[in-house]
Order: sequence, then C-alpha cells, then structure tokens
Amino acid sequence: MLLVVVGVVPTAYAAELALTSFTGHFSGLTNFVESHDDFRFLPAFENIASFLAIWLTALLVLVVGLSLLLHSMNRRVSAAFRFVFYLPAALAGSASVMIWLFMLQPGDSPWDFALRLLGYKTLGGPLAPGALPVVFALIAFWTGAGIWILVMYGALTSIPREVLEAAQLDGAGVWRTVVSVKLPLIKKWIGFMLIVAFAAGTQLFTEPELTSQAARGLVSPTWSPNQLATWFAFRTDNFNYAAAICIDLLAIGLLCASVVVFRSGLFRTD
Amino acid sequence: MAARSGMVRSGSSARQVAAFATLAAVAVFFVVPIVWLVLQPSNAVVRPWSFGSFDQIAQTWNQIFATNWIGGDTLLWLGNSTLYSAAGAAIAVGLCIPAGYGLAVTDFVGRRALLITTMVVMLIPANALVLPLFLEANAVHLLSSPLAVILPYGLFPFGVYLAYLYFDTARVHDLLTAARMDGCDEWQAFRRVAVPLAAPVAALIAVLDFVASWTNYFLPWVMYGALNTTGRYPVALGIAAQLIPGQTSGSYIGNLQLTTTTPPAEIALLILVTSAPVIVVFVFAQRWIGAGRLQGVFG
Repeated sequence: MLLVVVGVVPTAYAAELALTSFTGHFSGLTNFVESHDDFRFLPAFENIASFLAIWLTALLVLVVGLSLLLHSMNRRVSAAFRFVFYLPAALAGSASVMIWLFMLQPGDSPWDFALRLLGYKTLGGPLAPGALPVVFALIAFWTGAGIWILVMYGALTSIPREVLEAAQLDGAGVWRTVVSVKLPLIKKWIGFMLIVAFAAGTQLFTEPELTSQAARGLVSPTWSPNQLATWFAFRTDNFNYAAAICIDLLAIGLLCASVVVFRSGLFRTD
Repeated sequence: MAARSGMVRSGSSARQVAAFATLAAVAVFFVVPIVWLVLQPSNAVVRPWSFGSFDQIAQTWNQIFATNWIGGDTLLWLGNSTLYSAAGAAIAVGLCIPAGYGLAVTDFVGRRALLITTMVVMLIPANALVLPLFLEANAVHLLSSPLAVILPYGLFPFGVYLAYLYFDTARVHDLLTAARMDGCDEWQAFRRVAVPLAAPVAALIAVLDFVASWTNYFLPWVMYGALNTTGRYPVALGIAAQLIPGQTSGSYIGNLQLTTTTPPAEIALLILVTSAPVIVVFVFAQRWIGAGRLQGVFG
C-alpha cells in the first residue's frame, strides 16, 4: 500500500500543477476572450503555423528518408552517421541558437559563400520577417532531428529479417520494398513523430526569444504564442492573460498526447 | 548474361554511392557548425575555417574562468546547472522507481487510470507546463529558490513508464513470488529484490533526466531570467546572456550586426565547456540511450 501511495505522488504532482494554473482564471472566459482579441494574438499563431508547416514537412521527408538510407548501409557506417546527426542534441537549447546566429552572420560564418549567394550582407537579411519560420525550422531541425532519426531507424531495424527476405524472394526491388513493406510497417512511428513534434512545435520559445533579443526591433518579442504569454506575464504583469494562453497551448498538448496514447496502440496500457 | 548481371551490380552500387553521398551531404550540414565551434576558441579574431594556436585556446580559457570576466561567471553557472540537474535526477529516480514498481507489481483500484495519466503527462511537451509552474512558484513564493527548477526537473513521467516496463516482466514477478514464499513482507520484497534489480533502469532515468534538465532554457528563463536573478543562472541562461541587442548601422533596420558581450572565441569555448558533461554522458551512453528510449517507446 505504501508503494501505491508513492506511485501516486508524481502524477498527483502534475495534476496539482495543472489545477493551480486553473485557479488563476476561473472567473470565467473573459481572459480567454480578451487575450485572444489582443492584436498580437493572431500573428503569433500565424507565425507558429508557418513554422510548423515547414518543420513538420522537413521532419517527414528528411527524417524518414535519412532513416531509410541509414537502414540500407552497413551497421558501422550507419552508427557513425547516426552519431553525427545526434551530436547537436548535446548542446543547451540556447547554445544552438547562439551558434546559428553566428552561422547566419555574413563574414563570420563558415556558410559565408551561401549567405552571399542568397544576397545577404548583414544579419538583418536572414532574419527578415518572411525568412524567420525557415530559420527557426532550420535551427530546430539541426538540434532535434537526430533523436527522431534514432527512433525511426530503431523502428526500421525492428522489422524482422524474414519479412525483408521474403519480399526479396518475391522479387521486390529496393523501391518496392520501401514502399510496400518498410513504410507500412513504420507508419505508426511516423504518425507518432508528427503528432509529438506538432505539440512540441506549438511550444516554440528559445529560438524566437533569443533571436528577438539579438535583433531587437527587427524580430517581434511576441513572435510565438509562448513568447506572447511570457510577455503578458512579465511586461504587463497580466498573469491571467498569460494563463489563458498557456491553457490554450496545454490543451493542444493534452489533445495530441491523448491521441497518441489512445489511438496509436504504441503504448502498452496494461 | 554476364553483361546483364554486371549492369545490375553497377546499378545497385551506384545506388549505394548515391545513398552515401546524400547522407554525407546532410552530415556536412550537421557537422560544420560543430567544427566552427571547435575551431573558434583558438582564434583571436573570427576566422571561420582555420585553427589559430593552442596558446590562444589557453588564453580564451583563462578569460572565461577569470573572476572579472565581462561575460559573467562561468563557474557559478556550471555549479548551478550541476545542482539543478543532479538534484532533479536524484528526485526523479527516487520517485520513478517506486512508482513504476507499484504500477507493475501491485493491483489496485485506478491503476490503469494512473498508468494512462502517466503516459499522457509524459507526452505533453515539457514547455507546456512552464508557465503554470511559474504561476504556482509565484503563488507560493518559491521564485528565487533553486527549488523552483529542481522540483519540476524531478517530475519525469517518462521515467515512471520506463521503470514500469522494466518491472513488469515475468522474471521480476517470479523473483517477487519467490521472495514472498521465503517470508519477505511487501516492504522487504521491494527493498531486497526490486531496488537491487533496478540499477540499470535507475541509471538510464538519471541520465535522461540530467541531460534534459541541463539543456533546458525556458523553465529557468521564466523562473530566474525574466526577473534577472543572475545568481541563480544555469549555463543555458549564461550563454544566452552573451547576446546584446544588435547594432544597426544607419537608419535601415536590416543593417543588423550580431553583437555580443564577449568575442565569439570566448562564447564558443563557453558553449564547449558547458556542453562537455552532456557530451561525455552521450559518448558513453549513446547506444544505451538509443536502446533505452526505444525500449520505452516500443513497449
């Protein structure tokens, strides 16, 4: 029984946290309505939507593609590549943004030739409003794609060898095997990645926050919804609006998590 | 016939070469920033592609650890990060092991509901809880305390799930039945059988939680950064503090230059030094982390 009580603690802690955030605005929906009417609200969600579109496409195409390529290599070679792809995850989130600000600074950057080719002469070029979703997706991909490649590669290696041999015996070529055998077998994992990455992506904070610090006046300090929530909390001392926005985001996260737990069948619940 | 099989072979080896070339090109994208990072501390002025001298590295090193370094206090940040991450990992292990054990071996009302809750919380992005946590910490006046980040770092539902999977095996159930037959009560069965068995999964939970806490930015930013409690900064905030609002030359705002408190060489070395603990853990635990994560998600 003692163990049961201890078992309840971490989850109860999470539930308590969720409940305390509610007390801040139980007065009704006024805070939701007012914060949603704020002129910064819509742009923040539009920004995050265009970021998500780019980032999720990159994850879908590149992570799945690269994992399939890795799976066709011998183990040594693929282990070396996997390590390289995973390496940036060792850096603090703020460190990778800092590094990429240097990468985007013409003159200092090892990518100088590419920046000049794109016509950028100052940091203001790559940080122009239209380019920001691409830049943030680039940074997020550099930092976070490695772990997804590991997961996807793991899913591919769990396909029984007999299945692949049978496909080969039946005369399936490389493409045919990928399309008719490998992809259907890792479909669940692709869905899992997209849902979890979508939920995580709506929370984007570190990238736009540091970039707006470096480029004050050029990059909005309320670029993403989380930034807007912290803006309300710290700049205007309006904790209630901040709570309303983070409940919005929490609801998205909760919804995505529930979809994965109840619909994917990936997690053993008994 | 010979020509035909030769063509098939050259076709498949051409495909191999193309696959390798694609992977190598992507690897370049991943590795160039790291190369830049490693080269910079050796240069007095930024030179993207060249190695300066070892003397310069030593000089840069002395700079970032100097007490009057303009960038801040590297040792303080390292100390804070170590405290937060280690304490968080210790709490996580202390809670996850009994919780996972309880879920796996005892049957109680609401067990399934609890398990599902654990999984849902585990899949909610960590950032989603940051502002609720801030509001709570603010309400109970914990904002300037190290506990404001340590307690949240101790909450690690993924670890509970890992421990649950680890204990919910036939081998563990058999051992526990044997222990009970030998006269162990519930507490002794946990203490003498489950705890010694738990070492590998405890280490895995500690590593994963430590790395996640060490690299986190949003939570400490909300607790300490926004209110300028500089004495509590972990390394992630120390690195970010090197940014100062960019200078624009002329009236056109697009003429922006990246401006930092200290030269890029010092920032690069700061990033390397503060990432070293995580890199060491990664190098030793790479296969293990990969395997552990997958074991966790594959169920």
